[in-house]
Amino acid sequence: MQSAGISFLESLVSEFSPGTSTGMGLPKDYHEQCHSSMELNYLKEFYCWAKSAALNVADKIVSCYANISEEKVCSRALRFMFQVLNWNFKSSPSALDNSSSKSNSGSFGIRPDMGLLKKFERSLLEPGPLWHDALLSSGHMLWLLNFYAIVRQKHSSDMLWFDSPLAVSARQLIVQLCSLTGTIFPSDDGEMHIKHLTQILSAVIEWVEPPNIISGALRSGRSESEMIDGFHALLSMATLTSTMLFDNLLRSLRPFGTIHLLATLTCEVVQTYVIKNDDEQTWSSEALDIMLEIWTVILGRSGNDMKISAEGISSASNLFSTIVESHLKAAAESAFEDDSEADYFHVSVSRRDETLYAYALIARAAVETTVPFLTRLFSERFALLSQNNERMDPTQTLEELYWLLLITGHVLTDSGEGETVLVPEAIQDGFSGVTEELQHPVIVLSWSIISFAKQSLDPKMRNAYFSPRLMEAVIWFLARWVDTYLMPIDAAKGQLGISGHDEGLQQHPQSSKKVLLSFAGQHSQGETILDTIIRISMTTLTSYPGENELQALTCWKLLVVLVRRRHVCIHLVALESWRDLARAFANERTLFSLNARLQRSLAETLVCAASSFKDLETSNQYVRDLMGPMTAYLVDISSRNDLKAVAQQADAIYMVSCLLERLRGASRATQPRTQKSIFEMGCAVMNSLLTLLELYKNQSAVVYLILKFVVDFVEGEVAFLSAKETSILVNFCLQLLRIYSSHNIGKISLSLSTSLQSEAQTEKYKDLRALLQLLTNICSKDLVDFSSFSNDAESTDIAEVIYVGLHIVTPLISLELLKYPKLSCDYFALISHLLEVYPEKVAQLNKEAFDHIVRTLDFGVCHQDVDIVDKCLRAVNALASYHYKEKIAGKEGLGAKALSSEESNGEFQQSILSYFLRLLIQLLLYQDFRMELAGSAADALFPLVLCEQDLYQRLVQEILEKQSNPAIKTRLASAFYALTSTNQLSSSLDRNNRFRFRKNLQVFLIEVSGFMRII
Amino acid sequence: MSDEEHHFDSKADAGASKTYPQQAGTIRKNGYIVIKGRACKVVEVSTSKTGKHGHAKCHFVGIDIFNNKKLEDIVPSSHNCDVPHVTRTDYQLIDISEDGFLSLLTENGNTKDDLKLPTDETLLAQIKDGFAEGKDLVVTVMSAMGEEQICALKDIGPK
Repeated sequence: MQSAGISFLESLVSEFSPGTSTGMGLPKDYHEQCHSSMELNYLKEFYCWAKSAALNVADKIVSCYANISEEKVCSRALRFMFQVLNWNFKSSPSALDNSSSKSNSGSFGIRPDMGLLKKFERSLLEPGPLWHDALLSSGHMLWLLNFYAIVRQKHSSDMLWFDSPLAVSARQLIVQLCSLTGTIFPSDDGEMHIKHLTQILSAVIEWVEPPNIISGALRSGRSESEMIDGFHALLSMATLTSTMLFDNLLRSLRPFGTIHLLATLTCEVVQTYVIKNDDEQTWSSEALDIMLEIWTVILGRSGNDMKISAEGISSASNLFSTIVESHLKAAAESAFEDDSEADYFHVSVSRRDETLYAYALIARAAVETTVPFLTRLFSERFALLSQNNERMDPTQTLEELYWLLLITGHVLTDSGEGETVLVPEAIQDGFSGVTEELQHPVIVLSWSIISFAKQSLDPKMRNAYFSPRLMEAVIWFLARWVDTYLMPIDAAKGQLGISGHDEGLQQHPQSSKKVLLSFAGQHSQGETILDTIIRISMTTLTSYPGENELQALTCWKLLVVLVRRRHVCIHLVALESWRDLARAFANERTLFSLNARLQRSLAETLVCAASSFKDLETSNQYVRDLMGPMTAYLVDISSRNDLKAVAQQADAIYMVSCLLERLRGASRATQPRTQKSIFEMGCAVMNSLLTLLELYKNQSAVVYLILKFVVDFVEGEVAFLSAKETSILVNFCLQLLRIYSSHNIGKISLSLSTSLQSEAQTEKYKDLRALLQLLTNICSKDLVDFSSFSNDAESTDIAEVIYVGLHIVTPLISLELLKYPKLSCDYFALISHLLEVYPEKVAQLNKEAFDHIVRTLDFGVCHQDVDIVDKCLRAVNALASYHYKEKIAGKEGLGAKALSSEESNGEFQQSILSYFLRLLIQLLLYQDFRMELAGSAADALFPLVLCEQDLYQRLVQEILEKQSNPAIKTRLASAFYALTSTNQLSSSLDRNNRFRFRKNLQVFLIEVSGFMRII
Repeated sequence: MSDEEHHFDSKADAGASKTYPQQAGTIRKNGYIVIKGRACKVVEVSTSKTGKHGHAKCHFVGIDIFNNKKLEDIVPSSHNCDVPHVTRTDYQLIDISEDGFLSLLTENGNTKDDLKLPTDETLLAQIKDGFAEGKDLVVTVMSAMGEEQICALKDIGPK
C-alpha cells in the first residue's frame, strides 16, 4: 500500500519537472505555473510524507524484524526523497543573495562553485530557506546517517548488501544532501554549513577508510559502489569549501587533515589503476577520475582559496612519488606491447592530458621535492642508457623515459592553448632560497632533458636509442618548454611580473624567479638552446623517413612555436642552422619526402620568420630566396613542350602537389612586411596555374590544391593591393573561375561503387567551398583596404567581379550540396554579405540566378543552424530594405523580380517579399524560435512589414481568426498591436526605428511564446 | 633547386612504366596506390607502430578503381609503394554501336572504337538515354595499368 503510494508520488513529481514531463498539448506558461506551484505548495510536504514512511519501517529494519515488503517501502521512500532533491529549484532567491553569500564566503571558506560538479552530471542543491526545518533543524540528517551506519554494521559480512536497493538509495540521498547549499543555511558565517558537512564527513569516512583495507576488499570482489559514493561526497565538499577549510573538516575527527586522507586514497586508486589488463578492476578508472577531479578542484584555484598546510604538501609529495613510480613500473611492463593507440598525440590526447594535468597540479603543490625527484629519475635512466653497451635491450628504459618526458612537460609547463604561456605560478614562486642558476632544480631538470635531446644528433645514439616514439615525446616536450622558458616575455622586457598575492614573500622569490626566467634568455644561453633545437628538428625531418607522427609534431608544434614570438625570430634568422634549414627547403630534394601537408606548414613557418628582419627589403629578399625556386620550377613545368605526356604521371602530379602546398603555406604566412614578395610569388605562377588547372581538370586533388592556394593567396594579399595590382588579381580569379566552371557544369561522375561516388561528391563539395571562400575574400577588399593610394581610373569594380563570379558559381550549387554544414555556412555568408553591400548588383542578376538565390534563402531561413538562419535573415533584411528605399525614392527597386515568379507549386506566385513575410511570421509564432535570433529577425521583419503593409494586416487578421480560445485571442491581438504601435515607431528605416522595432519584437516574443508554444 | 635533379624522368615516350614508386608515408587519402597488382584509390590511411618503439607502418584501405573491390595493405611508412599513373582523357561520343562498343572522337580527329559500354544497368542507362536525347556528350575515360573505363559524362551541348 505504502509502496504504491510512493510510486504514485514518484510519477507525479517526474511529470511536473519539465525535463521528464510528457507532452500534453498545453501552452508553455501553463507548465511553468504548474512547476512553481508544485515547488511552493507540495514538494516539501511530499518529502516529509516519504520521510515518515521511511521512519515507520526503519525501526523494524534496524532490529531485523522487517519483511521484504517493508524493506522495499523504505528504499522506495529514500529513492523518492532523492528524486525530490533533484528537483530543479527555481524559487530559491539565490540570484539575489549572491552578493552577500560571496562576501562572507571569502572569510569562512564556504564557496559555492556551480560549474564544477557538472563533469559527473550532478548539480548543487539550493532549495532555499523554506526547507530549513525539513532538512536541517529536525535532525533528519543525523537520523539518516545513523540509520545507514547501523544497517551497514548488521550486514558487514554480506558483500552483496552494498548494492541492495536500500543501501544504494540511502547513499544517493546522503551524497545529494552533501551538495546542499545556498540560503537554506542561515547567515551565521557558514557555521551551520560547516557543521552539516562535518556531520556527513564523519559518516562517509567509514566508507573509504582505511584506504588499504578498502581497496583490498574491492580487489577480492566487494562492490565498489559505496567507495565511489564516498568519493562523490568528498567531491561535493571540495567544491563547496576553500582548500584550507576542506583540509580542516577532518581534523575534528582524525589527527590528520582531509588532504592527507585524500592522498592516501589516491595512492591506492592509482596503484590499482596502473595494473591494467584486469577486467575486474574497472572501478579504478572511475575512482581515479573522481579523485583527480577533487585534486583539480582544490589545487586548481588561485590566491587565498588555495593555501595548503605543511602536512598537505608532504602528502601531495608522497602521492606524486607513488604516482610516478607506479606509472614507471607500468610503462616498463607495457614496453613490449603493440602500440594500439595509433593516434596518441591527436585523439586520446585530451583524456590523457587531463589526467597528466591533474598529476602535475599535485606535483606543483610540492615543487620543492617533486622537481628534484623527477630530475633524479630522469638522470638515472639517462645514465643507464649511456652505460649500456648494446648488450641489453633498452626498450623498457625508453618507455620509462617516454613517460617521464610527458609528466615532466606537464609539471613544468601549461598547455596554454591560444594564450600567452607563462611559467606556472607555483614554479615561479617556489624555491625561494635558490640564487645560483646551477642550483635551481627547474633549471637542472631542463638542462638534463635538453642535453639528453641533444644526444639524438649523434647518428649512433639515434639509431640505438632514439626510437620514433621517444623522439615524439622529446619534440613535444621541447615545444612546450620553448614556449614557456625560452626567452620569456617577462625577462625580455627586463621586468618581472609581480602577481598581487605574494607581497609578503617578495624578497626571496624574486631572486630565484629572476634566475629561472633569465637562464634561457636572450643574453644567456637562449641562442645556444635555439640552435640545438633547430638541429634536432632538422634531424627528425630528414632522418626519420616516413614517421609522419613525429614529423607532424615537429612541423605543427615545435617549429610553429619558434616563430611565434618576434624577439625569438630575430635570433632565429641569424643562426646558421636556421639558414641551413631554409636552404634545404629551397634548394634540396630531401624535404620533398615529407608529407605534402607538412611541407605546407614548413613553408609557412619559414616565411613567418621573415617578419623579424629590421629592414623591409631584407624581409622580402629572404622570402624571394626561399620561394623563388618553387615558382621557377612551376613555371618551368607548365611551359614544357611535352607537358601533356608527362603531366599525368604520378611523379609529376606528386611534385606539382608538393609545390602547390608550399606556395599555399607561404601565402598563409603573408604579413605586411612580406606582402610584396608574396604577391610577386603569386603573380609569377598565375599563368602556370591556369595552364595546370586546364591540364589537371580531371585530377581533382590537384584542382583542389590550386583553388586552395588561390583562396589563401587572395585572403593574405587583397587588403594591401593597389588598384592596378587588384585588377591583375581579380582578372586572374575570374579566369580561374571560368575555367573551373567550364569543366564542371553539367558533369556527372559515373561509378559503380557508392563509396567512390560519395568521394567524388565530397571532392566537388570541397572545391565549391573553396570557390565561395575565394569570392568572399575578394569581397573583403571593399571593406578592408590598406593600399597606399588608389587611382579611380584604374580601379576594378569588385562588385562587377562578384557579379560575374556569382553567375559562374550559383549553377554549381544545389540544395543537395547546401546540406553540408560548412558549405552552406560559407555560401550564406557570401550571399548575405553581397546583399548587404551590393543589393543593386544582385537586383541586376539574370532571372535564373536571382531565383536561385531566393530559393536558397528560403531553404536557409528554415535551417537548423542558428548561424545560417542569422545570415539568411540579414540577407532578407538587405533585400527588403533595398526594395523599400528604392520605392520611396520612386524607383523600381527589385521591380519585376520581386513580383513574379513562375514557380509551379504556387509558393512563389506572390511577390517574393510577401512570401518571406508570411514565412517569417509563421516561424516566429508557431515554431520553436530561438531568442538569440530575435534581433536579426526584427531587422528582417521590419522592412518586410513596411513593404507589404496590406498583406501584413491581412495576415494578422487571419491568424487572429484562426485562434478559437477567446482569452488567447485578446492577448495575441494586443501583442500584435503593441508590436507595431508602441515606442513611437514610424515608417522610416533609420537606425532608431530599427532599434525600437527590435525592442518591440523582443517584448512580443516573450509575451507570445508563453501561450503559443505547446508542450 | 639544381637542374639535373629536377627534371622528370622522361619515360613518357617509350615503354612508359605504369607505376611510380613513392614513399608510403607521403601517400594521402584520395591518392592512388597499387594493391595486389590493382590500381586503387586510397579511401583510408592509418598509421601504427611495429611495437611501441618500432617504426611506423601505414595501413591502406583502397578501392579498386575499375572493379570497386576493397583491398587492404600494410607497408612500413619509409618504404616505397607503387603509385599507378591514372590518366583521364575526354572524348566526344559519336556513336553507340549495336554490339556494345562506343565510338569516340579523339582530340586529333581520329576515332577510338575499342571501348566497351559499361555492363552496369544504371550507368548504361545514363549514357544511352543521354545519347538518345541527342545531347552532345563528352565522356571521360580513366585509364591505369592497361585498363580503361568511362568515369564521367558531361553534356556540352548549347543550353
